[in-house]
Amino acid sequence: MTTRSLLDKELNKLKEHLLHIEDMVQSAIDRSIEALKNMDCELAQQIIDDDEDINKLRYKVEKLGVVIIATQQPMASDLRTIIASMHIAIEMERMADHAAGIAQLVIPMHNEPLLKPLIDIPRMAQIAKEMLHSSIQAFMDGNAEAAKQIAARDDEIDQLYDQILRELLTYMIEDPRNIQRATFLLWVAHGLERIGDRITNINERTLFMETGKFKEL
Amino acid sequence: MSPARKTDKIQVEHLNFFYGFNQALFDITLKIPPQKITALIGPSGCGKSTFLRCLNRMNDEIPHTRAEGDIQLDGADIYDFNLVELRQRIGLVFQKPNPFLQSIHNNVAMGPRSLGIERGSKLDDWIEQLLKRVYLWDEIGGDTTLPAQSLSLGQQQRLCIARTLAVKPDVILMDEPCSALDPIATLRIEDLMRDLRKEYTIVIVTHNMQQAARVSDQTAFFWLGKLVEYGTTKKLFTRPSEELTEAYISGRVG
Repeated sequence: MTTRSLLDKELNKLKEHLLHIEDMVQSAIDRSIEALKNMDCELAQQIIDDDEDINKLRYKVEKLGVVIIATQQPMASDLRTIIASMHIAIEMERMADHAAGIAQLVIPMHNEPLLKPLIDIPRMAQIAKEMLHSSIQAFMDGNAEAAKQIAARDDEIDQLYDQILRELLTYMIEDPRNIQRATFLLWVAHGLERIGDRITNINERTLFMETGKFKEL
Repeated sequence: MSPARKTDKIQVEHLNFFYGFNQALFDITLKIPPQKITALIGPSGCGKSTFLRCLNRMNDEIPHTRAEGDIQLDGADIYDFNLVELRQRIGLVFQKPNPFLQSIHNNVAMGPRSLGIERGSKLDDWIEQLLKRVYLWDEIGGDTTLPAQSLSLGQQQRLCIARTLAVKPDVILMDEPCSALDPIATLRIEDLMRDLRKEYTIVIVTHNMQQAARVSDQTAFFWLGKLVEYGTTKKLFTRPSEELTEAYISGRVG
């Protein structure tokens, strides 16, 4: 007979919530880029409204984590899993805030055409989405090695960000009338860059869960 | 007294209890829901065991004691029950495993046999079912002729739970059922309790509040004979309403 079925059940519930949040964040990032490409204010507003659901789910994870700690006295890897889950929920919730931030930029931007065709920004978003998915998978599998490898991909996002920054600065220097539109795009890229950083934080949590050590990736 | 709601298994109203001139319980009102685990916590001498023993009138055996107030089981006054019937419906598992000095089979068979609940091969089937229920059957390799004393303490306690279940009770009272057991045996009893909750109403007294937090759905906190707070375990252990509860569960008093 087992001796910890309830704790296992609660831990699974926590992980299910995280998978659900991941789905919602993936969709928020996807749709924010879609809204930007098409200057779709309606879609942008929907992303902003949906952010509330992600916030609620994040609090649900934190609440469940507190209840498990208070009632089940988890130890060692169980305790680390709960602490890591709570952090990861917060990280993902903040990623959704960045996606909502991009959506918010679409509203003032939509009156004017885009400064330039979007190439690197969708690439940044695509890499971020892939990284997020594999990071959550590594967490679910407890795969610290995978977590380290995924975190290294943040460099790709950072490089794209630097490239976009340089390019947009050129537009601004060329013609100061471009400054506003270029700044908006820069904020979008910055939002995606921050998403990449938060994904790295998730991988640090996976590493902590597996090894018990705090290490910056 | 207000009529018991259908949702209450046991309803206690304005219960006072006295050992001679010494009052041990003060005006306790508490409703115990069916098919849930209700934990009673509090420091030594707070009245939690006295309260538990009121529920199946075990305190009647102690001379110079007196109870005032009402206790209902399924809406019927427990003092209207025949004592044998009451204790058949509300079983009690004690702190220390106390199997009879007989075989495992006889330990479980004694209750149903004397009450005429099951006989012959049906009784044997019933015993097998119960021993499986408490996860003992496989551990003894199905040999019920073994003396109960040959079992480990944790196994003996599970045998005592099987013995309690044998007479088909509705409610199981447990008075610190794990205090004599090691941590793994304790977790096994806790898992068994969660499993039994689907069919039985369980009330457990424990001085180990972590156990109450782990295992119960509802928790009642007693202090100096008074019921300080009663609510869901999740809430009581994360957001208690009373300062005294907070102080007790976080180890500042008691």
